[in-house]
Amino acid sequence: MSKPPRYFWIPLILSLILVPAGFWYVGWSKSGEGAGLYSRQWVPDAMFAYWNPTAFYKPVDTIVGKFEGEQCVACHTSVTPGIVKDWQASRHSHAEKKVYCSNCHGNDHQALHMPTPDICATCHATQHNQFEDEKRFGFPSHALAMERALDAKHFVDKPKAEVTACLHCHSVASKCDSCHTRHRFSAAEARRPEACITCHSGPPHPDDETYFHSKHGQLYLAQGAQWDWSKPLRKGNYPAPTCAYCHMQDGKHQVADKSIWKFGIQKINPLSSGNEIKRKQWIKLCSDCHEPEMAAKSLTALDQERKRAWDKLFQAESLLKGLRRKSLLYPSARQRPPYPGDAPDKLWPREAIGFLEGQSSAFYNVSPIERNYFEMWYFSNLGAYKGAAHGDASFVAKGHQAMELSLESIRKQAETLRTLGKTQPTNIWLNGEYTDYNREHN
Amino acid sequence: MRRILLLMLLMLLSPAIHGSGKQPPKTVIGTDKECIQCHPKQFKEWQASAHAKKQPVAGCLACHGGLHSETASRSRRDRVCVACHGGKEGAVVHSYASSKHGVLMRLEENGYDWTKPLAMANYRAPGCAYCHLHQRNHDVSAGVRADAMNRERPVPDGMRAVCRDCHAPRYTARLFDNGDALLEIGRKKSREAEALVQAAPELGREDQAAVQQQLQKMHQHLQNVRLGAGHQSPDYQWWHGQPALDGDLLRIRGMIDEYRRKHPVQPR
Repeated sequence: MSKPPRYFWIPLILSLILVPAGFWYVGWSKSGEGAGLYSRQWVPDAMFAYWNPTAFYKPVDTIVGKFEGEQCVACHTSVTPGIVKDWQASRHSHAEKKVYCSNCHGNDHQALHMPTPDICATCHATQHNQFEDEKRFGFPSHALAMERALDAKHFVDKPKAEVTACLHCHSVASKCDSCHTRHRFSAAEARRPEACITCHSGPPHPDDETYFHSKHGQLYLAQGAQWDWSKPLRKGNYPAPTCAYCHMQDGKHQVADKSIWKFGIQKINPLSSGNEIKRKQWIKLCSDCHEPEMAAKSLTALDQERKRAWDKLFQAESLLKGLRRKSLLYPSARQRPPYPGDAPDKLWPREAIGFLEGQSSAFYNVSPIERNYFEMWYFSNLGAYKGAAHGDASFVAKGHQAMELSLESIRKQAETLRTLGKTQPTNIWLNGEYTDYNREHN
Repeated sequence: MRRILLLMLLMLLSPAIHGSGKQPPKTVIGTDKECIQCHPKQFKEWQASAHAKKQPVAGCLACHGGLHSETASRSRRDRVCVACHGGKEGAVVHSYASSKHGVLMRLEENGYDWTKPLAMANYRAPGCAYCHLHQRNHDVSAGVRADAMNRERPVPDGMRAVCRDCHAPRYTARLFDNGDALLEIGRKKSREAEALVQAAPELGREDQAAVQQQLQKMHQHLQNVRLGAGHQSPDYQWWHGQPALDGDLLRIRGMIDEYRRKHPVQPR
């Protein structure tokens, strides 16, 4: 047997050192007081206990004893009557074998826990498996919502009381009652579009506005109250589709497997082999009511709208990158407060432009022209996308008009930056009440 | 004769039947004055509220309508509040409507028994009146922190107690603390912007107007944070609130900065 050549040993030894070192580093960075990749850089706000109970919940220790079944109900009828009334109206309390408070929260009052999805899985394994399966398809998905929020740079950098607002929605990964509100946990409720709008609304994801403006939504608004919501989300059961009808077809707790354009924040190839499979799934779904050709045309119309949007967005991006190349972005990354959590940023300050550079995390501590691009990309573009996907032409028109205006204003600002390029910088960007507070509290 | 005696007996008894000893209620009420005679407690509470103090005054009939048999059940519903509080699209109503409470209300309100008092979790989801007129307290302002900039006025204990009809005390206490912290962070952004503007008196009239306009937007966004925290709407706390304030702040800084770079002070 011949001796292995030298170029075999060097990579082998290097990988034997580097791979465990990498694992060790990730484990170490996740072992801090916070959670996620940057856990060593922050401490949680007290509310995190409820939004991310697995990582942060600690039970109240003022009440001592073990309680079960009717014992819990007896006390809580006067302590929190609303919860008890709600549970009494739920299927949990009408089942042959009742599901009591203690079945989900535990029975030791000093060691109670919040029912996370894995606890619901004790009985609802199918739904939980489907939900977990979302992770295969990446983000956006409900199952990865918490993880990805915690790993976002702006989450780490901002004061934790401020980003509690984010976790309010991203907690969908940690609690089934985001859609099946406690303590009724109704399937019928979650089938209705309103169940989604607390989180799926507002500038970057106007799912509520665009759906309710669409013909589907208009039909729902006019007739929905009369429909039988106890029926499964299946062909023939509903005269018009709702959020869940399309995104959780047949009640499958998996919202990520069909998404083509995903969140709409990056340009993708809608005709890739993987996406061709998803297109077929969509066409099959729309065919519950429509001709397959019509569904295919709608998907093509969405692609065309996306192309128009990205033509505009790339124009703005290249203007910004042009300014960066000539060091004309002002204040530059060196002249503005750094993102405290980002070590490479301190060594090599550089303005982030576009999705791949992580600009979605850089919407504060930036120059006005970058913020304008962020709003064009994150608000107007995503509004147009949701309008096109949900069948609301007015939102498409509004979004594109807003993008045109942003592009125009970005052009003008770029011109101003070029003119002012050689003037003395001012020093008003680095300090201020919030700016200082933000630097110190993250 | 017997009929007359019966009638006299009825007349004698009628004050006892109707508590305050006044006339029995009419089917249709025409003016607020008629209500006050029998409901002095509610009137007094109402007098302390913004409904009485601010123009236009919202009197009894404005919310209760004139049909006496329906006055309470009518006024417990959200729809009596919406028109005066900015309409469906306004931030006050929309921040509630997009919250989980608002969503449940929208789905379930037609199934609720609206004759029940506003207490003891008689309604699965709280509407406007459940929290703001809890246990019939007609001082709607008692629980409201109307001014987002004023940190000295915390949400009073009475209002905090309402949540405990359904939620655990520690959970709601933490939510209120977080709401206070969220607002204080918003105020920091606001104050930073105002300090920048105050330190820039040199701005020309046009730039000054633009900066003031942005400050006004900022005030609106701070109100959104307040409403988002109060009504538990994540969308108002966040997208209509904090990141919007970030944008306002950096734009105000940008305007002042641009002016200074365009008009550098000549060294003497």
